[in-house]
Amino acid sequence: MIRSGFDEMYDANGQVRPHYEAFARWLADTPDELLAQRRREADLLFHRAGITFTLYGDEQGTERLIPFDTIPRSIPASEWRVVERGCIQRVKALNMFLADLYHEQRIIRAGIIPAEQVLANEQYQLAMQGLDLHRDIYAHICGVDLVRDGDGTYYVLEDNLRTPSGVSYMLEDRKMMMRLFPELFAAQRIAPIDHYPNLLLDTLKSSSPLDDPSVVVLTPGRFNSAFFEHAFLAREMGVELVEGADLFVRDDKVFMRTTDGPKAVDVIYRRLDDAFLDPLAFNPDSMLGVPGLLYSYRSGNVVLANAIGTGVADDKSVYPFVTDMIRFYLDEEPILKNVPTWQCRNPAELSHVLANLPELVVKETQGSGGYGMLVGPAATTAQIDAFRERIKAKPHAYIAQPTLSLSTCPTFVENGIAPRHIDLRPFVLAGRETRVVPGGLTRVALREGSLVVNSSQGGGTKDTWVVED
Amino acid sequence: MRLSISHETAYHYEDQVRASIQYLRLTPHDSERQHVLSWQLDLPRPVRAQLDPFGNILHVLTLDEPHETVIIGARGQVDIDPLREAEHESQSALPFLRFTRLTEADEALRAFAAQQCQQRRDRTALIDLMHGLNQHMLYTPGATAVETSAAQAFAGGSGVCQDHTHAFLACARSLGVPARYVSGYLFSEESEHLASHAWAEAWLDDAWYSFDVTNQLARPERHLKLAVGLDYLDACPVRGMRRGGCEQMHAKLVVTAAPVITVQQQ
Amino acid sequence: MLSRTASDLYWMSRYLERAENLARMLDVSYSLSLMPQDGRGDGLHELAMPLLITGTLDDYRERHGDLHAERLLHFFALEAANLASIYSCLGSARASAHAVRGRITADMWENVNATWLDIRGIAEQGLNRYGMSRFCEWIKERSHLFRGATYGTIMRNDAFRFIRLGTFIERADNTLRLLDARYEMAGDQADAVSDGTAHAYYQWSALLRALSSFEAYTEIYREAPGARHVAELLLLRADVPRSLRACTEEINQILASLPGTNGRQAQRLAAEMDARLRYTCINEILDGGLHAWLTEFIPLVRELGDAIHSSYLEVI
Repeated sequence: MIRSGFDEMYDANGQVRPHYEAFARWLADTPDELLAQRRREADLLFHRAGITFTLYGDEQGTERLIPFDTIPRSIPASEWRVVERGCIQRVKALNMFLADLYHEQRIIRAGIIPAEQVLANEQYQLAMQGLDLHRDIYAHICGVDLVRDGDGTYYVLEDNLRTPSGVSYMLEDRKMMMRLFPELFAAQRIAPIDHYPNLLLDTLKSSSPLDDPSVVVLTPGRFNSAFFEHAFLAREMGVELVEGADLFVRDDKVFMRTTDGPKAVDVIYRRLDDAFLDPLAFNPDSMLGVPGLLYSYRSGNVVLANAIGTGVADDKSVYPFVTDMIRFYLDEEPILKNVPTWQCRNPAELSHVLANLPELVVKETQGSGGYGMLVGPAATTAQIDAFRERIKAKPHAYIAQPTLSLSTCPTFVENGIAPRHIDLRPFVLAGRETRVVPGGLTRVALREGSLVVNSSQGGGTKDTWVVED
Repeated sequence: MRLSISHETAYHYEDQVRASIQYLRLTPHDSERQHVLSWQLDLPRPVRAQLDPFGNILHVLTLDEPHETVIIGARGQVDIDPLREAEHESQSALPFLRFTRLTEADEALRAFAAQQCQQRRDRTALIDLMHGLNQHMLYTPGATAVETSAAQAFAGGSGVCQDHTHAFLACARSLGVPARYVSGYLFSEESEHLASHAWAEAWLDDAWYSFDVTNQLARPERHLKLAVGLDYLDACPVRGMRRGGCEQMHAKLVVTAAPVITVQQQ
Repeated sequence: MLSRTASDLYWMSRYLERAENLARMLDVSYSLSLMPQDGRGDGLHELAMPLLITGTLDDYRERHGDLHAERLLHFFALEAANLASIYSCLGSARASAHAVRGRITADMWENVNATWLDIRGIAEQGLNRYGMSRFCEWIKERSHLFRGATYGTIMRNDAFRFIRLGTFIERADNTLRLLDARYEMAGDQADAVSDGTAHAYYQWSALLRALSSFEAYTEIYREAPGARHVAELLLLRADVPRSLRACTEEINQILASLPGTNGRQAQRLAAEMDARLRYTCINEILDGGLHAWLTEFIPLVRELGDAIHSSYLEVI
């Protein structure tokens, strides 16, 4: 059941929360026509700048604009500090888990995670067994997805440890807000985020034992849905944006082809899934990867960020164990909560799930992007029945969670301003130290009542503010 | 039994190749069953040996001068202990439960495995499975290709050792038994001849047992092991790519010469 | 710089320059087609000229059959299925720019992207409603804007050099082809000592206007346009920016300034071409026949383009 939700801007009595007061005053004082005009201006600017994404399965590769909402999502600084500590704690534990899993496997021997759950998992990469990584960091760049329940409690929905995207929208949204409404930033202190590319470059450089490594961004190419972001980050960091065909391996070392001959590559920020990295070691049909890359990597001649095989730690069937990992590796209590999760692979939990489908959210353990999921309360009986069959056929491929209400934030819609559901993805960078830029990407489900915020499913974005309280 | 091997593979390309890269798993290593007395690879240029994720000895050969031929030679002597049936290893066998594109078990394979083994998960059950697959899939060179999956070959009712092995792996894993692909050489006494071959190993009672579906052998007396993996792609002796005159890489090699293998039994 | 990046920059500017040149070609043909024709009133012969020059006339006939003014213009300017149309060139330029989004400035990218979005709008309303002359002017204007944004914002590095290389290779090729075609159209009168007929006058002045060189011509020669001086102006004058000589001089300098040693072949070809133009004169060219000379030179430009490819853009 959808419970009555938590609104970011208004409390239960309809009063504006203190950290939104300055904004609410400004909103009341600004004429509607001016706001409408600025919103049109934002659309035009985004289109001109080509800040677009491509939908999977769209054969024409049509570029779409991710709708941008001009009402920011605001977080009081005191609240943010807790979220920040929680994300850092989580990413530290996940990196320790990966290092342990690919070496001694203490956590399995301690009986905390069943061996089969991780070792027989497709995302567990034998190629990583026994391989030592600089600083023991596997996931250098993580996106932690958070939502808030009816009482405002933050929950971690998933940890994205492979190739999380969206940070370019976080940065562009801020740029756009400052361009459209500079007066808002003069009126109160909003934590800056535009140093993210510097932090990212610093993180990537610190992932290599070399003093001044040569860094590149590896993209699947211009037809990838997140190509804009790959190009954006390469440009902001001042490094080369390469495709697989631009790189080659000679004697276990990676080089790029340049107009001036071969040039060595030391760190690859790859936005390409494991299976496509090396057609001689993984998917043989991949035309996106670099033949020989795996052995250059295993020889320690090049760093991949993130490492190969991080997917085993953000797999939805491993997610329920993250709070235990925090206790096991850090000897701390988890700061952020997990959503209670039923694993359909366990017969008892499966029957509970099948009996309660209309109230649950069911997800594929290895799915992402909001594809292949069931939102029980929003689904028709026919959809639920069809999903029931899919779960029964492959129970190990699904997990289920209670339907969280998700907090709302006022959002511009066709008939003015109305509450819409949102989530939050802070970006965590793990290098010499583990850091998060204040805020993150707020995604908003633009359809009334919808809980799916993914851009591929009609979601939009908002600027995210951390304001001093 | 002592085997002497001399194995030469020659690749001839129709057009000049601008650059090529090959993953070579052509070097056996010592184990409980086999002892390598001597082994040598003859390659166009010196290459460092390393271990791949499955513990196989791997050579990565990169050639970036234009060439039309690549000749790869392997020579050596190996002692095989015909009495030892199983091999022990410290690494967990659980990763060998997962399916790959080539070893995906469809409904037909799952049903076949269940019917052959019922509730049994022991060696005799898998021996029954081995015989069953051999009868179901007639040994037919040319009926399948390198990229044929277990399900496709099983549905077609024919195949070669690669298909037999893939089908066995799909069935065993569907029963919850870890199983892996083995590539190597098989000595046949009738022809005094050694041939490239593939068979399966399954994890039973904390050890790896061999199942050669093609020859219906559950004792690997005449098998020299080169490499193991989840499927053919992980374990095959040579996997390579080249960059030709045009811009694209070609995933498949043009192989025009059959391997020449000689052996003497001593 | 990455070879692929250099290739995308080079082709981005080639396609933009090509779009501009196609518009110039179209402009001259369209204005000439409005002139009183010898005994015929439709000007179709003239309108087919740009297709003849670009080698797309057969493709047109296959798709649309007989010559038809409106269809010809649409095919040449806006047809998406015609890979040589102005529309397609702008699409290709935009795709290349998209791929090297990180290596060009925001001003340059926004210009290319906005041009692409706009021409899609124009294609929807059609040339008739938008206006033919206005369309050609608009294309030229967008090209000027891009060049201005490039000169005004991008760092003077290899990216800038490959962008300019693309521009001048494309422009050299275009000037040669356009001159050749107009020379043929002028027919017998072209070689006459004083080709002062009205027909020839309009042919040559339309060509000069299309290449924005009319003012340069009158300032240098102070007489009505004729074959000899037009050819001299467009082939040998280093101070006329769309002349062949101006292009080869630029190409020669750019290639000489690129780092590395893998470009020797391209550098030699460019230097030879430049020297050849520098030390010849128009009489020498006309003695052997202008058409013959042009026919020999056009493949040299293509050969230079190929050498640039193998030296810098497709390195192993």
